Amino acid sequence: MDFLLNTMRKIDNDQVKEHSFGNKQSLEENLAISFINPKDFDKLNLVSSLHLKISNNQRNIIVKIEKDDNVPEGTITMPVSIWSNQLTEILNDELVYKNIVVSVEATREPILKFEEIIQKIRGIE
Amino acid sequence: MKRYPCSGCSLLCDDIIVKSDGLFIDEVIGACLKGKERFDQVSAQNRITSPMIRKNDELINTSWEEALAKTVEIIKNSSAPLLYGFSNVTCEAQRAGMDLAREINGFIDSNASICQGKILNKAKAQGINLTTITEIINKVDLIILWGANPAETIPRLLNKVLFSRGKFRMTGREIKTLVIIDPVKTASFNVMGVRDLALIIEPDKDIELIQMLKEECCSADSIPSGGVAGVDKNDLKRLLLHLTGAENGVIILGQGVIQPHADYDLMEELLDLLQLINTRQVKGRISLLLLGGHFNMAGFDHVALSSYGVSGKLQFESKKLVKSEDTIISKINKENFDCSIIVGTDPISHLPHSLSSKLAKKPLILIDNHNSATSRIADIVLPTAITGIESSGLAYRIDQVPVELKKILNPPNNIPSDEELLNQLIEKLNGGAK
Amino acid sequence: MELYKFLPKTNCKECGKPTCMAFSLDLLQGKAKIDDCPPLLKPKYKKQYDKLKEMLGSEEGQQKELRINVDEDLCDGCGICVTICPVNARYCPPSLSGKAPEYPPEKHQLFQVIGGKCELLNLEHCRRLDSEGRERECRVCETYCPREAIKIEYV
Repeated sequence: MDFLLNTMRKIDNDQVKEHSFGNKQSLEENLAISFINPKDFDKLNLVSSLHLKISNNQRNIIVKIEKDDNVPEGTITMPVSIWSNQLTEILNDELVYKNIVVSVEATREPILKFEEIIQKIRGIE
Repeated sequence: MKRYPCSGCSLLCDDIIVKSDGLFIDEVIGACLKGKERFDQVSAQNRITSPMIRKNDELINTSWEEALAKTVEIIKNSSAPLLYGFSNVTCEAQRAGMDLAREINGFIDSNASICQGKILNKAKAQGINLTTITEIINKVDLIILWGANPAETIPRLLNKVLFSRGKFRMTGREIKTLVIIDPVKTASFNVMGVRDLALIIEPDKDIELIQMLKEECCSADSIPSGGVAGVDKNDLKRLLLHLTGAENGVIILGQGVIQPHADYDLMEELLDLLQLINTRQVKGRISLLLLGGHFNMAGFDHVALSSYGVSGKLQFESKKLVKSEDTIISKINKENFDCSIIVGTDPISHLPHSLSSKLAKKPLILIDNHNSATSRIADIVLPTAITGIESSGLAYRIDQVPVELKKILNPPNNIPSDEELLNQLIEKLNGGAK
Repeated sequence: MELYKFLPKTNCKECGKPTCMAFSLDLLQGKAKIDDCPPLLKPKYKKQYDKLKEMLGSEEGQQKELRINVDEDLCDGCGICVTICPVNARYCPPSLSGKAPEYPPEKHQLFQVIGGKCELLNLEHCRRLDSEGRERECRVCETYCPREAIKIEYV
């Protein structure tokens, strides 16, 4: 299904804080997460033990999913992080962080790890 | 007790009480959570206190001589270096960075160019008024938040501008009206009272609201009955009344209005609307305030303007300033550089994958003081003292007011400040050229 | 408040309190009993009398204390409670323009932000205990907290 992805800053899910004071586990716990409206949660046949696979163009990520009443229907919210930046784009010399078209599906695969993203960015698979 | 300024975010509150014995920080009173985390960085678990070099694909500690020598070697072997960051450092360090860029014929730019810098340049070009926090506290009666969420990014902003009692607004909260325009119902909505207006628009439909306001400016007669962009007719009428009836208003813009589109420029349309309202108003005016991230985001443009006469990015060739159409994004995208020096930021986490992967292909020198995604791929890491606690200097607030940061403690292992380190690099490069 | 809805709302003062709102506050705190209101014992208010008995249950007449809880996990140190509390505003001049009050804190200061979180100092000068009339219904700290971390309750 097609959704709009919105990346925003949250004071509880803060990348700099996890890098300075936490470790890889707390980083993944707090930042590899996405929020969705409860009605969309049911439409996608999700349950809390499943993960969400979000993909766009040639890349995809797998993150945890949580319900949030304040998110409008048809959109997903993620905190700004190295996970969400796998999907953000460039348009005419400008960076696009909001309202990105993505497709989502439920999955059993494990959450994408921090080390794997670093390897992808360095070009080593 | 003595009060110190806080360098946690770009609001630079200068009323923080710090209890310290000169060696450790005991108590921090008055600072919000972000400020407290900044003061905690002094003893953070993942703080870097000695230089590191990559050998056999692992970062190992090394001496300053070796690290600086390797840095100079990388820079001398490159002909088009890129310098990026410079929003987490003082103005003196920004000046040293520009001098370094001139020395090595590089391209230098700061984080502000992908954040609020663009809106600011356009606003200044159009002649729209900016305002200061003290003016807002004392005179404003209408505050509009568009695409901004200060409750999560700058926690004390709402406290200072909305709830305080100013000289001409002594009753404080009761006399000020708050309007929030946002597609998601964020935490900032919880400070609303009965007189305030919450507009939850549909995602990606900001342009329709702006166009309707432009047409109906000052007359509420022909608003479409079905509402616009998900907002109903009554709310739109109230919004128009507030916009045209305010004696002194301020519109606060955040990251939410930075939405590039192929067909239109949202920021220009918004600034046009502001200009229109101001020229048609009988009394009063609406001014602008832009939220930012790191504590010295606004300083880079001021320093560039006063030192080199150009506000914004600088490109040097043969040690002279030249005109350039490139931006930091086009430089990285077209791989128009052969090494990069990153100061005080974490581009591998902030930039989209297509840019961060290109940045990772070339040698990267990082000047920062804690672990990050960029430190995982950097070739050299040079630590510096934490500004605002272990070193002093000048910084510019979100409303372009300069604040002097003070030194409270000494840095561990005598590590240099950003300004001292960049000046050391210039000296070594000069010494080697002879 | 929910209890006030079921009172006669005539402010007849037969219970000794100036208004029905003040009586409902005393009922909540256990300082008065439902039978202290003579009009409620009349047949035309029987439904309201029964409803009040049901709502208060066995807690009627039990002395209850005021508690203001600040949730440490939700608080982000914004300081809105420090600025808006009327007691803070009267005794701590810096908080009028949003600045942090002096340290060590004033005798009457209620809230202070220390270590990035809000802390309640002493409850005895809160408006809900220390004043008369409409000021006893003060709830501004709970209403305006953006993270909804402050809760006023009686235990």
